[in-house]
Amino acid sequence: MPNAAERMKLLAQDFFSKNDLGSEQETRISLFIQAIKTTNASILTKIEFQPFEWEPYKSLHKQYFKEIELSTLLNKATNWSTNPFVYMEATQLNLKLWQMAEINQYMQSPFSVDEVFYSYLALSHAFMAEVRVLPVLPPTMPLNTPFLSAIQEIEEENGRQIQAQIRMLKGIELPISQERKEEIINKQQTVVQSCFCDLLAAVCKIPEEQ
Amino acid sequence: MPIFKYGSHEVYYQTYGEEDAPVIAFVNGLSMRTLHWMPMIENLCSSGFRVLVYDMLGQGSSSKPVLDMNFDNNAEVLALILDEISTKQAYVSGISYGGVVALKFGYLYPEKSRGIIPISTFTEMDGQFKYLAYNLHRGLTEIGFGFYLDLLMPLNFTSGWIDEHSNVIDFTKRIAIADMEVYGIQNVMEQLASFESITDEISKIKCPTLIMNGEFDSFTPRHMHEIMRQQIRNSRLILVPKVAHAMTIEIPDLCCQIIANFIEEVESNNWKGDQTTWIANEELGSHPVAIPCEGDYLRCIPIELSRRCYEEKRTAAAQKVAKPVTKKTSTVTAAAKKSAAAKTTTKKATTTKKPAAKN
Repeated sequence: MPNAAERMKLLAQDFFSKNDLGSEQETRISLFIQAIKTTNASILTKIEFQPFEWEPYKSLHKQYFKEIELSTLLNKATNWSTNPFVYMEATQLNLKLWQMAEINQYMQSPFSVDEVFYSYLALSHAFMAEVRVLPVLPPTMPLNTPFLSAIQEIEEENGRQIQAQIRMLKGIELPISQERKEEIINKQQTVVQSCFCDLLAAVCKIPEEQ
Repeated sequence: MPIFKYGSHEVYYQTYGEEDAPVIAFVNGLSMRTLHWMPMIENLCSSGFRVLVYDMLGQGSSSKPVLDMNFDNNAEVLALILDEISTKQAYVSGISYGGVVALKFGYLYPEKSRGIIPISTFTEMDGQFKYLAYNLHRGLTEIGFGFYLDLLMPLNFTSGWIDEHSNVIDFTKRIAIADMEVYGIQNVMEQLASFESITDEISKIKCPTLIMNGEFDSFTPRHMHEIMRQQIRNSRLILVPKVAHAMTIEIPDLCCQIIANFIEEVESNNWKGDQTTWIANEELGSHPVAIPCEGDYLRCIPIELSRRCYEEKRTAAAQKVAKPVTKKTSTVTAAAKKSAAAKTTTKKATTTKKPAAKN
């Protein structure tokens, strides 16, 4: 029996097997991904206060600029909707993400190697691992539109960034147990999965009870 | 698909076929999932076997732990799933990465191993294989999953298969990219970084073992399977013509024929684990399923036969020259030539020593 997130993906796959991506769908997806990318980049601005020798510096520095690059690329590639309600609903979803993921806690004070930092790394990992649009599209759908080629580039880059994220999650030395680390990772995955499911429901117009 | 709980993780498995039939468990290769066994499942079930397939942790529909991954857990997970489905003994077959799990299962759980069928696999990582694994890992993490699949394509399949399926390869790649979580595969792969040779350990395997190696497998070449043949006393090595690494995808029906024949031999007490080497009959449905392999199968070129033929021809030519002798001076010349030829032969024989059994 698939879980709620898997069920939603199946419903979205079914939707896209019968429907193309229109400007409303592209707009909703772009606003969500841009919110994630700009949020992550905002947190990562703090990285520039860290010394070069700090072990995570180089990979997080790279991630910071990649997030900005990909967000602006998507901005250029999207066929934006003229429907104001799409933007209003997208804002509500983005606010939900901020609240559920408690993003405000990562915005304050410089980075230090503690549970908050670990929690941020887990959230960033979840962003890259859980938010995947291509798997819900039919494998026969051409990816040569500006929007889909940008999405493809984002998801490929996420795949590359994840490896640095995993290394840090596995290797970082913290006075917390393995169980606690797993708990943090699972919590962040659940939060991002839930918001991504909401996005799919909005994009595919799937009623909540499904 | 039923779920088996392994600690806090979920392992997805599925069984097919009659409950009282002999069980064959298939262990996936690195970037496989249970669906890849489907053509073999249908074939083997219709031949009267029960088939168990499952996704290892990090693969397909099973949990993809970010932190808690240990290669050694894989054999234990399989043993626990067999308990779950009330199976005391099973034939365990695995391909590539899954072949290592099958071998480990063979010596860690001898009481549960009715037979082992390692396919296209390895027991240690030699120089070439380490670089192949390193390149795949870099391809996956630095370029992307699509490139990783492209790197695997010529290792897994022959040109004939690739040409025949060229119209669906991009499509199946998209499905693979959609189905796989990159970090799950990456984690499974990184378990190999700490892989320690199991060559000595596999000598503990006592159950019937059929080792399968593709003729054109350049990923895990012949010498890797020869190690298994030499180490496992109750084994046979079968060479499968004209296929590369992923033979279970390239020729599923022929693989089923070989596996079914092996199981029938074991079940009817006709199995002879005599460490011999065989060549599979590539014609589906023909008998015998395999014939004994003659010659040096570790070489890709028929060097011994060629050398023998060459010497025979030289000797025959020298004898031909020596026969029609009538004058005394000619006899001296022929004898000198023969002596010179003999010297050349001796020199060649000493300089063309048989190389080590590696490619």
